[in-house]
Parts: sequence; C-alpha cells; structure tokens
Amino acid sequence: MSRWSLARYSLWQARDFALDRGIAILLIGFLWGYAFISPLRSQMAYQITNRASPVWIFTLQISSAIVSLAVLLAVNGIVSTDRKTGYYKFLFSKPVNPILYYTQLFFVYMAGVVACMLVLSRILQTILPTFSIVNYLLYTALIYVAMGGIGFFLSVATRYDWLSLAAVWLGARVLRTTFGDGNDWRSKAVQLLPPVHKLDEVANSLIGTGTANGNDVLWLLGYGTLFFVLGLVILRKGSLAD
Amino acid sequence: MAEVSAANDDDYGPAAVVIEFKNVGKIYKSLLGNSVKAVEEFSLTVVDGETLGIAGPNGAGKTTLIAMMLGYLRPTAGTVEINGLPARQYVERNGIGYLSELIAINPKWRAESALVRYATLAGIPYSEIPSRVNYVVDLLGLAEHRDKKVKALSKGNLQRLGLAQALLRDEQILVLDEPTHGLDPVWTQRFRDIVEELRRPDRTILIASHNLDELQRLADRVAIIDRGRLQRLVSTGYEHAAPAATRFRVTLASGYDLMRTVFPGAEDAGRGEYDVTVQSIQELNTALADLIGRGALVASVMPQRSVLEQQFREAVGESQ
Repeated sequence: MSRWSLARYSLWQARDFALDRGIAILLIGFLWGYAFISPLRSQMAYQITNRASPVWIFTLQISSAIVSLAVLLAVNGIVSTDRKTGYYKFLFSKPVNPILYYTQLFFVYMAGVVACMLVLSRILQTILPTFSIVNYLLYTALIYVAMGGIGFFLSVATRYDWLSLAAVWLGARVLRTTFGDGNDWRSKAVQLLPPVHKLDEVANSLIGTGTANGNDVLWLLGYGTLFFVLGLVILRKGSLAD
Repeated sequence: MAEVSAANDDDYGPAAVVIEFKNVGKIYKSLLGNSVKAVEEFSLTVVDGETLGIAGPNGAGKTTLIAMMLGYLRPTAGTVEINGLPARQYVERNGIGYLSELIAINPKWRAESALVRYATLAGIPYSEIPSRVNYVVDLLGLAEHRDKKVKALSKGNLQRLGLAQALLRDEQILVLDEPTHGLDPVWTQRFRDIVEELRRPDRTILIASHNLDELQRLADRVAIIDRGRLQRLVSTGYEHAAPAATRFRVTLASGYDLMRTVFPGAEDAGRGEYDVTVQSIQELNTALADLIGRGALVASVMPQRSVLEQQFREAVGESQ
C-alpha cells in the first residue's frame, strides 16, 4: 500500500474523531467552562483582566482540567476498541501497517483535540480578553503528548484503557503527594511515575505567560513519547488479536 | 458429484507454494497460568490456483489457523509463510481478501462508506474507488442497502457486505471463514457461483466451513482438523478414486428388473429408488454403463452420505 493511501484515510479518521469525540469534547468543555467561569465573571467583572485575581487563577485551573479531560476522551479506546470489537480484522487484512495506521490516528486525534481547544479558547477569549489562545494550544499539544502517550500505551496493553489512564493519573498524583518528598526507596520509586506534579506549574506558566520550565516540559514530553513508542513496540511484537 | 479420497500434501508439489504452515503451534495462556493448545504441529502447503477447504468441529482451531495466517496471532511454535514471506509481512505488503466468521464493521458506518473506506485502505486509486465499489455492490446485490447504516443491515446483508469488502481488490489470496453463514439458499447458491467465478490459476482460496457439502462442491482439497491437529487431507477431485466403500441412491425411470442383475446387493427403497454400495467411482460408472446398456433409464445418482462427510466422521472420531 502506498503511504498516500493511508494519508488519504486520515480524512476518515478525522471525520470519526469529529463525530465520535470532538462534539462531546466541545459540549463538555463548553458546559464545564460556562458553569464555572461565567458566574465568577458576572460577580468579579472588575478583576477580569487582573492576572493575580481569583477569576484568572480559577480560569487557568478549569481550562487546564478541560484539556486533560479532552485528552482522556480522545485517546480512550484508540487501539483497544478495534481489538475488542474485532474491527481490526478487515482494517488490517488490507495492505496496511498497523504501526503507521495507529501513529497517524494518534496525530489526527491530536489535531482534533487542538482544534476543539481552539474553538473553546476563542469563546473564552470573548469574556477574558487577556486569555492567550496560542499559549493554550501549546499547552494542549504538550498535554496531549504527555498524557495521550501514556493513554496510547495503556490502550495497546489493556482492554480498560480509560479506567487505567484515570487510575494511573490519579494514582501518580496521590503517591507523589504522599511519598514524593522523602529519601527512602518509596520516594525514589514514585519518581518513575508519570510527572503529573509538574502539570499545575506548567499549566500556570505556559497558559498564563507562554513560558515554562524547560526541564518540566522535557519531562512531560519525554515521558509521553517514551510510552507512545513503547505502545508501538508492543503493537509490533505482540498480537493484533486478543 | 465429486469423488473424494485421502490426499497427500506432496500431491500438490509441482505448483508454486503460496501458503506454508510449518509445524505451527499455538498455545493460549491465561493470566492464571492455565494454557490451552489451540493448534499443534500443523504443517500444510497450499499452492497457486488451489481452493482449499478447512473443516473441523467447533473449537478445532480453524479460526486460530486463519488468524495466524493473517498475522493477527503469532504462533508459539513454527512459522506461517505466504509467498516466502512471514505472513504478517506479506499481508502488509500485498493484502488478502478476508471474510471473517463474525462480521465486525463499525455499526455507525453506512454500507457504501464502509466500502469506500476499505477501498481507500486497500490502496485502490482514488479515481477507481467508485467503480470498484459499484462493482461489488452489484455483484452482491447490495444496491438497495448501500445508504443504510451497518447496524440496520440484516445478518444476511451484513454477510454480503463482509464478502463485498473482501472482493474490493483483485487479491491473489482469498480467505473466507464460514462464508455462507446467515445467507439464505438463494444467496448461498449465488456465493458458490461467485467462488467458482473467482477461481483462476494464479489465485489461492481458503474456505473454512462447517458445511461439508459446500466444501465438497468448492474445494480441491479439504483439510480436516480437530483438536488443533491436521487429521486428514482429503482431495475432492473427480480424478481421485474413492478408496472406501460408498453408498449411492440410484433412481430409475425404467428397467427396474435389471437393477439386481447389475448391482446384486442393491436394496429397494421403493418408487424406483435403490441403494447400492460400491468400492470406487470406477466400479459405479462401469455398473451404470452396463445398466444403461441393458436398456434401463437412470434418472439420478446421489451419494447417500458425502464421502467427505464420511472421512470427516472417521477423522474426528479417531481423534477423540
């Protein structure tokens, strides 16, 4: 099969994203953002442009949470659904390399998530003029690679990837908070967990100012990329069928 | 009526080997450490132009064998090669026309758009996709269903859609797993006609089926498998003589009194029908020629039990 054929298929993948996930991400993101930010805006309108105000800080927290949720929705079942339902049978009896197929799918979904966040941030900007769309999209791309890479790996390795990713994400936060500061083996072990503790800091600095600590960004990108590649290796070495 | 006999894998030596299973084994292991042998020491070659049937009871390992042939499962022992390449590598380079036992197509897709998607993945040039889709839609009588969502299709129509996607491209290899499952008698016959039309010297077709009559009609050889092992390889060609005694029902339009002269052991089943036992297809033909030569009119000759069925019963019985 020519790479061009697979590239042409990306239009179908984008369509699937829009109908199956994009609309849901937009609706949930909009309703969530509206429910939390709109009341604050009406009560504290005079502080709306002040970056030190509670409105601004709260907006950063909500908007970064929406990105995490969007990534979770996007990568949920990205590989495991095809395996659970048996869709892989007809897809990969065609001259298609599954590694290339799912790599393309991962990046098509990334483009989809970024497009959804573009729409949501454009809406947000109408009530918070100082909100930077570019910074928000950079943050979205970073979190997609960091969190989506792990989600992709879990989707290859397990059947319950949504649950696994949520468990890994929340578990890493709890364990890092509990054991992260010590010097014993447990605190060393939790350093291997996803660097979720860096998210808040990166969200505040990247969405707020457009800058972020290089080490933090590299940690997040590296961790996500490593797991994405691990997922591809398992896909290559393992079986497509369950 | 096809005669069936035990065949040797070496009989198919001179033609180019397309698919080769070499001592293939597959063991499924559970997380608790339990293991199940699905396929064991399975060796078989399939050559260019051949239609091979795969028969076996439920759980015999047919679907596992096909999954390994498409590279969906990795064998735990041995190798599966297609045209000298590891199976998965071949499929990724060339593709295989594959109809799975359970049709798994996203239920939200429309029938036609599903075919367009598969045609795109199959590498059919963009400009040729509409004509190719129209061809398989017409071939399989899906014209009135092309705009329906997959979830709205009946089982038979879904089966036809599955077959349509397998035929989108002019593949060298076709693998059809229970192809007539869910089809009505009209479409079962139509499917058989389609398979006959698809046969050509440079195409290899594999058909896994429970329907022995279907395999006898369509396949050149039938691999009977049970408990993951190849039990027998049976040839269905006319040129192979049946080694074992076989029963036929002969119906006469006239000359009833001649029947016992030619077939001394014939049993009268009434209304001009007689059950006869012969040792080979040649013996049957010689006796029928004698019968007709003496003035009898033969209306029909039917095997009482297909010899493939007989072989199947023996093979599966022996393995248990």
